[in-house]
Amino acid sequence: MGEPYPKLRATDLTRTFGRTPHTVDALGPLGLTVAAGEFVCVVGPSGCGKSTLLRIAAGLLRPSTGTLEIRTTSPHPVAMIFQDYGIYDWKTVQANVRFGLDVQRVPRREANARAADWLARLGLADFAHAYPATLSGGMRQRVAIARALAVEPELLLMDEPFAALDAQLRTILQDELLEITQALHTTTLFITHSLEEAIVLGDRVLVMSARPGRIIAERRPPFPRPRTGGIRSAPAFTALKGELWDLLRKEAVPA
Amino acid sequence: MTTVLPDRATVLVRRPGVRELHPVGAHRRRRALELSLAVAVPLLLVLLWQLAASRAWIDDRVYPAPSTILADGWDRAAAGELWPDVWATLRRVLAGYAVGTATGYLLGLLMGSLPLVRAALEPLLDALYVVPKLALLPVFLNMFGLGEGPQVALVAATVFFFVWISTMSAVIAVPAGHRDAGRVFGASPWQMFRHVLLPASLPSVLVGARIAAGVAVLVIVASEQIAAADGLGHLIFDSRALFQNDVMFVGIVCVAVLGVLFSELVRIAGRLLTPWAPRDRGRGQS
Repeated sequence: MGEPYPKLRATDLTRTFGRTPHTVDALGPLGLTVAAGEFVCVVGPSGCGKSTLLRIAAGLLRPSTGTLEIRTTSPHPVAMIFQDYGIYDWKTVQANVRFGLDVQRVPRREANARAADWLARLGLADFAHAYPATLSGGMRQRVAIARALAVEPELLLMDEPFAALDAQLRTILQDELLEITQALHTTTLFITHSLEEAIVLGDRVLVMSARPGRIIAERRPPFPRPRTGGIRSAPAFTALKGELWDLLRKEAVPA
Repeated sequence: MTTVLPDRATVLVRRPGVRELHPVGAHRRRRALELSLAVAVPLLLVLLWQLAASRAWIDDRVYPAPSTILADGWDRAAAGELWPDVWATLRRVLAGYAVGTATGYLLGLLMGSLPLVRAALEPLLDALYVVPKLALLPVFLNMFGLGEGPQVALVAATVFFFVWISTMSAVIAVPAGHRDAGRVFGASPWQMFRHVLLPASLPSVLVGARIAAGVAVLVIVASEQIAAADGLGHLIFDSRALFQNDVMFVGIVCVAVLGVLFSELVRIAGRLLTPWAPRDRGRGQS
C-alpha cells in the first residue's frame, strides 16, 4: 500500500494453551499486516483462534511465539468491543460511554461533551441516564460501540460484536457501523462468523483455517467506498459470499 | 518494549513473556513459590513466637513456647489423655452436623421448590436465623437435660441454618430453562429432584455445607466451655482455670486441626460429588 510502516503487523504469531502434555495449539503461525485506516474482517470456523488473535492485539494475552506490532503515538491506542458483558450494568449509559475517557483521565467536562456527542451519533441521547439493563440488545451494543469510539482509538478491535443480536438488528447495526467507520477511517480488526457482515464492512476479508488458525485466503470485496448496505443485493456480493463459503466449509466440516 | 521510528511514531510490541517462552519452568516456579509461601508464613510466625518466649519478651507462663506446647501435646497424646476429649468433641460435631445438614437440606429443598411453604416458613426462620445459637443453649439444656443432647442440638441448629439458606437460594436460582426441559418430558417430582434440582443446586449447597463444617466446630467448642464435662472446649477452659496454659494451647491447636480436617473433608467430598462444577478453592468463594 505504499505505507512503509503498517498500522499493525503480526509476524509468525502462535499461541498455545495448557501445559505439556495437554497443550492445545490455538493459533498460527500467522502473519498479518493491516494498513492505517484499513478495515479488515476475519472469518473462520468456531474455535479457530480468531478471538485469540484479537486478544493478543488488545494486549490481554501474550503470544507463545512471534510478535505483533502496533504503530502508534499513544500508550493506549486500542479499544475493543466485546460480544457481550462489555458494558457495565452499574453505570448509566452515559457513564458507560465515558468510562474509557474517565480511565484515561480526560477532564470531566470534556469527557461529558464527547460522551454526549457519541450518544447522539448512535441515537442514544434519550437514554443517557438509563441503566443498560433497561435497554434492548441492539441498544446495549450501540452503547458498547459508542464507548469504544469515544476514546478515539487508533486501533479498533471488534470480537463478533453483533453475534448475540437477531438477524434484522444485525443488518441495521452493520449499516450504522459502516456509515460511522467510513467517516472515521479508524483502523479496525473485525472478527465475525458472518460472511455477509465481513463483505459489507471490510476492505479486506481474511479467511482463517480450523485450529490452529492460519490465514488461508484473502479477498477484497469489489465495492468502492463509500458504500452502503445496498451492496448486499449485488450479484458480485452473492458471488463473493459463495466463494468464501466454499473456502470456509472445508475448514468448518471436520470440527 | 517500544522503538522510535523515523516519523516519531512508536511501535507497541506484543511479544511472548516469560510464561510463554518457558511455560513449564514458569509454572513450576510459580507453584513452588505458592507452596513455600503457604508453609513459610505460618512457620515464620511460630518461630517468632518461639523466639519471643525463649527470649522472655512475653511471659511464657501465659504464652508458653510452641516447643513446650508441642512436647506437652505429644506427651498427652502418647499417654492417651488427649483422645477422650477429642473423641467427645468429634462425636458431638458429627452427630449434630449430620442432623443439621439433613434437615436443612430437606427444608431448603421444600422451600425452594414450593412457594407456599416458603411463604409460610421464611419469616419465622429468618427471625430465628439472627438469634445467636449459643443463646439457645439454655433452652436445649432445659429440653434435653445434661448430657449429649443439648450439645448435639446446638450444632444441629447452627448447621441447619447454613445449609437451609444455601439450599433454598440454590434451588430458587436453578434456571427456569432447566426445569422447563424436565417438565416438557413429563418428569415426576422425584425425577425432577433426582435429575435437575439435586445436581443443579449441589455445588452451592456444598459451599454452605463446608462453611457450616467450620462453624460447627466453633460452636461446639464454645458450648463445651459452658456446659460439658469433657471435650476440647472443656479442656481449654478447664486448663486455663487450673493455670495450665500449655494444656490450654494444646486444646486450641487440636480444635484448629479438627476444623481444618473437617472442612477439607467436606470439600473433597464435594469435589467427588460434583465433578462438573468449577473447583471451590477456598473460603473466599462463598
